[in-house]
Amino acid sequence: MKKIYFDNCLTSKTDKKVVTEMIPYFTEKYYFPENFVSIGTQASSDIDKSKKIIADSLNVDKSEIHFTTGGTSANNLAIKGFLTANSNKGTHIICSIIDYPDILTNASFFEKSGFEVTYLSADWDGRINLEELKAALRPDTVLFMTTLSNHTMGTIQDMPKIKEILSTSDHHIYTHVDACEAYARMHIDPKEMGIDMMSISAHKIHGPQGIGALYLRKGINLGQIKHGIDRIDRYETGGISVALIAGFAKAVELAFDNLDEKIAYMRNLSNHLLERVQNEIPHIIVNGAIGEERICHNMNISFSFIEGEAITVMLDLMNINVATGSACASKGLKANYILMGTGRTHEQSHGSIKFTFSRFNTIEEVDYTVDKLKEIVQTLRERSPLYTDYKNQIKENKGE
Amino acid sequence: MNTQYSQKVLDHFMHPRNLGILELADVKATEGSPACGDQVSLYLKVNPKTMVIEDISFQSYGCASNIATASIITEMAKGKTLDEAEKITWKESADALGGLPAVKMHCSVLAVDTLKSAIKKYKIEHHLIEKEKFSKDLILKELRSVVYPNVGEDIVSLKMVKYLSFDKGVVTIDLDVPSFDPMRDNIAEEVREHLGKFPEIKDIKLTM
Repeated sequence: MKKIYFDNCLTSKTDKKVVTEMIPYFTEKYYFPENFVSIGTQASSDIDKSKKIIADSLNVDKSEIHFTTGGTSANNLAIKGFLTANSNKGTHIICSIIDYPDILTNASFFEKSGFEVTYLSADWDGRINLEELKAALRPDTVLFMTTLSNHTMGTIQDMPKIKEILSTSDHHIYTHVDACEAYARMHIDPKEMGIDMMSISAHKIHGPQGIGALYLRKGINLGQIKHGIDRIDRYETGGISVALIAGFAKAVELAFDNLDEKIAYMRNLSNHLLERVQNEIPHIIVNGAIGEERICHNMNISFSFIEGEAITVMLDLMNINVATGSACASKGLKANYILMGTGRTHEQSHGSIKFTFSRFNTIEEVDYTVDKLKEIVQTLRERSPLYTDYKNQIKENKGE
Repeated sequence: MNTQYSQKVLDHFMHPRNLGILELADVKATEGSPACGDQVSLYLKVNPKTMVIEDISFQSYGCASNIATASIITEMAKGKTLDEAEKITWKESADALGGLPAVKMHCSVLAVDTLKSAIKKYKIEHHLIEKEKFSKDLILKELRSVVYPNVGEDIVSLKMVKYLSFDKGVVTIDLDVPSFDPMRDNIAEEVREHLGKFPEIKDIKLTM
């Protein structure tokens, strides 16, 4: 059996067409932009074309796209750049306890340097608490940040509603969104959604690793985070690989070709997995919203009485790759903060498995995985003292 | 297969030895807790004349290395007398598995702790020993079961325990852990879990 990869939220396979697109930039067109010389002008024009493709996918102007060395770089540029240049407008920022680490670590960094941060809570399904958002707005609130589709639970935040709430303020509260998970898996129109800044990344959508972009609404100035020579972008100074930029654009072109069809395809994979697991494996809970409120390629399920690292290792031995929220698999031996933050017990977080699909996955792969998963869950439950306790409890109750 | 686990760990994980519930067990012990991590249960059948562990089995709620360490412990203890089995250290059990990643050493500690606790329980129930008197030394002994995940050694051997006192049910501990250490919360949790089993301890004051 060939490898089955269901961890596309971590990173995804580079499309062969993307690789083909990039090769000439390594072998023949290995130039940086430069004025008045043909090779440099060619590079500028190629970068411009790539920018246009990405801008079109978001219905924004190409001058609003800034290439960065990845999603995290884009998040840092947006948050640090914005707050250092706009602290005169206020020093209160809002995000939520379930945001992507890029947002949370930046928030905590600014908290230490004198900013105040309100961390919104989230409900069981991973929706941030909008009543708390309403109550959190202050005259000195400058920035609201959110993760468009949660990287663990797949829940999409209600941007129209958020825009409505933020607009009740007497001053403009800027919005930064991490859309690395959501981009090319749903339609995103930053202008319509009231988004001022937004990070996207190539390697999660079958583009190359090491390249991302920040959408920065026209008129917003950022402080300089990375000083140096302005080669390709005035914010992300120094060289940025023109090959990676071309690869990113190609990946976007491919992803947005019949996007609705691709979304439906990935949603079908997640729904099929969920349906089979719900019908065939008892004692599970779904993590995150279901239906249209959930990003199409994500499914996250907790299996009671057992631990997720053991499941992932067994699946790995069968050539299937998934992710888990178990403390045992994390660097700091900590349970997943999103699952815990949305009211799950340690055991529920411990037993969680995240499947993230791509257009390269097939329904056969899903079926094969569920078949194996059924065996694994049963095997591990037979080994678990918690499952024994549970069965004894049932027996006792029946005896009464 | 290239994982951080040795072949031996994967073998014991995929094909655990002495798995399940021992119906005729003389003693059962459970350590760990699902509230903050893994759990191991061990069942022992002991020959009352020779004190030899004639049969042993385990159940585990935990990761691959948790299952593998519990499995190897049953293999190592089977056929040994209680006194011999009690001397098995967590390092020996990790070595028997061809080593464990440092961050997983606490799994072998849990397996060995469960074995020790089962043996002690048997000995107390059969009036072979008296229940150990609670003291500061006992706390220190227990802290030897808390592994610093960054290096896979216990916090007492690493001299991370800077201060320890016990007075009127309150344990005061000061640990030397760098402020930037991502394992801080984990170590605190482990310390609280280990000391939580003593009813004599009413409160733990932990500083780092």
